Amino acid sequence: MVPVIELENVSRYYIVGDFVVKALDQVSLQIQKGEFTAIMGPSGSGKSTLMNMVGCLDTPTSGRILIDGADINGLSEEDLAYIRNKKIGFVFQQFNLLPKLNALENVMTPLLYTGDVGVAERKLRAQEALEKVGLKDRMKHRPNELSGGQKQRVAIARALVTQPSLILADEPTGALDTKTGIQIMDLFKELNNEGHTIVIVTHNDEIGTSCPRLVRIRDGKIEENS
Amino acid sequence: MAWENIKLAFKSMFTNKLRTLLSLLGIVIGVMSVVTILTLGNSASGSISDAIATGGTDLITIYTNGSSSTFTEEFADTLRRNIEGIEAVAPMNSQTARVRYKDTVTSYTVNGVQASWADLMKYNVSQGEWFTTEDNLSRRQVVVLGSEVAKKLFPGGDAVGNYVSVFRTQAKRYLVVGVMEAKDATLSVSFNNAVFMPYNTMKLRLGGSSRVGSYIVKVFENHDSTTVSDSIRDYLDNLVGSDNYTIFSASTLTSIANEITGTFTTFLAAIAGISLLVGGIGIMNIMLVSVAERTREIGIRKALGASPKVIRGQFITEAIALTMLGGLLGILLGTFISKAVTNLAGWSFKISIPAYALSVGFSMVIGVFFGWYPAKKAAKLDPIDALNYE
Repeated sequence: MVPVIELENVSRYYIVGDFVVKALDQVSLQIQKGEFTAIMGPSGSGKSTLMNMVGCLDTPTSGRILIDGADINGLSEEDLAYIRNKKIGFVFQQFNLLPKLNALENVMTPLLYTGDVGVAERKLRAQEALEKVGLKDRMKHRPNELSGGQKQRVAIARALVTQPSLILADEPTGALDTKTGIQIMDLFKELNNEGHTIVIVTHNDEIGTSCPRLVRIRDGKIEENS
Repeated sequence: MAWENIKLAFKSMFTNKLRTLLSLLGIVIGVMSVVTILTLGNSASGSISDAIATGGTDLITIYTNGSSSTFTEEFADTLRRNIEGIEAVAPMNSQTARVRYKDTVTSYTVNGVQASWADLMKYNVSQGEWFTTEDNLSRRQVVVLGSEVAKKLFPGGDAVGNYVSVFRTQAKRYLVVGVMEAKDATLSVSFNNAVFMPYNTMKLRLGGSSRVGSYIVKVFENHDSTTVSDSIRDYLDNLVGSDNYTIFSASTLTSIANEITGTFTTFLAAIAGISLLVGGIGIMNIMLVSVAERTREIGIRKALGASPKVIRGQFITEAIALTMLGGLLGILLGTFISKAVTNLAGWSFKISIPAYALSVGFSMVIGVFFGWYPAKKAAKLDPIDALNYE
């Protein structure tokens, strides 16, 4: 089976003054469909860079990244935007909801960029996604009228709504209290059970070890790959 | 997508009402000035045309100069027969002479005209009667006074039936047979401060050269007076040469007047256009602020799959929406101001459709032009940097 994401010897170097910082050094990684993976590492380990690569927000200095078998090397900004829209659903630590839009409109936004979904269908699909994360009765609320856990649920609904190949979550519980964090992790597990492929980037051991698969990264190299 | 962008643009405009209003001000004032100037120009030139037209657009005046012996009384008839479209030609002589009644003596223009002249000029008496063809043929010493002349010489309003003296080399007594109604000066004659007498009487009594001073040509209603005046010009150029006469018609005067007001209006509108440019720079400024403020939003949208093209479209739409709103406000205000001014000036209010079209078009162009750079800047933002922007 073709992996959802495949990294082949991916390196990402930054030039800071006279130094070359190897944020990622010859990393290879495969993520199969239906997997629930945690990428763990301390800060500065390169996990954010890895996440940006996987999320098509950044391109490698060398090596290949394949998403659903397609090489993203040399793609234009427009094409990368298209892949992010179709293939990746992002969930951020700080939720990153659009403050002027209500929950429903926030969830509808990615479908807007798909370009071929009419407004009625956008609404319908967004409603379904919000129902799935348990926010049926909060659709018309703006982010500032929602609790942290609710905001993260809206963000998860927004990631789900395009039916992406991969949900990529960056410290999704980092801004939440423990109890709410557990609820959000439960939601991810539930989504995984329904077949969604999920990658969580975290430095939290408890979260990391609770995931079926764990990838540890340190100093730009993969240390442990279960 | 476009519709979503428009909704987004208005949403962001309404979240910062005061700022939106202030940044619009430049465009509003610019468009307002352009619309006001063009509308006023249009109304003024309309009023000038109307004023000239009251003198009769169907009238052409030929002033003779030089010593050509062609310009006789009979030439009036020659002209009428030789040029198509002429209904009538009236010869006229004018001189300045002193006119006295009792102790009041004033200088006036004395016009020697034929009996048909008053009808030709659509000029009516208010008291008494206009003189007759018989008066002219018999060279009777009768005069008709312009309204101001009558007022000055006969404050009691008893002009008709009294005698006035007209001096040239010697004083002669003339019977006042009529007083004319007040009438605005036309291109060839000042009416109210003039004295009218039969053509032949004037020739006999006040003398002067045998050359006719001017001819008033009346054009048939179904003929264009510009065409007729062109034919007359061709005819006279051949006959006496262009140095020996000057021709004036209301329609040529109207077009000259329109040309002048047009040039003037364009000039003023161009100056007002500069304020539009300044307004555009204001828009660019506020758009740059908006892009900077919304860096994180741009990052989120990019992560969700908005391509650079889509982001650019969003911000350009916002700039256009801003300038168009400013343009519409400016049009409203400009129309309101020009309506008020035309009311005060007593001109007829004429809306200038090109001014509206120009304003809307120009606002849009400014939106695109000054929105382009901020929008490009937004589109080029790196999604990772934008997402981490605080």
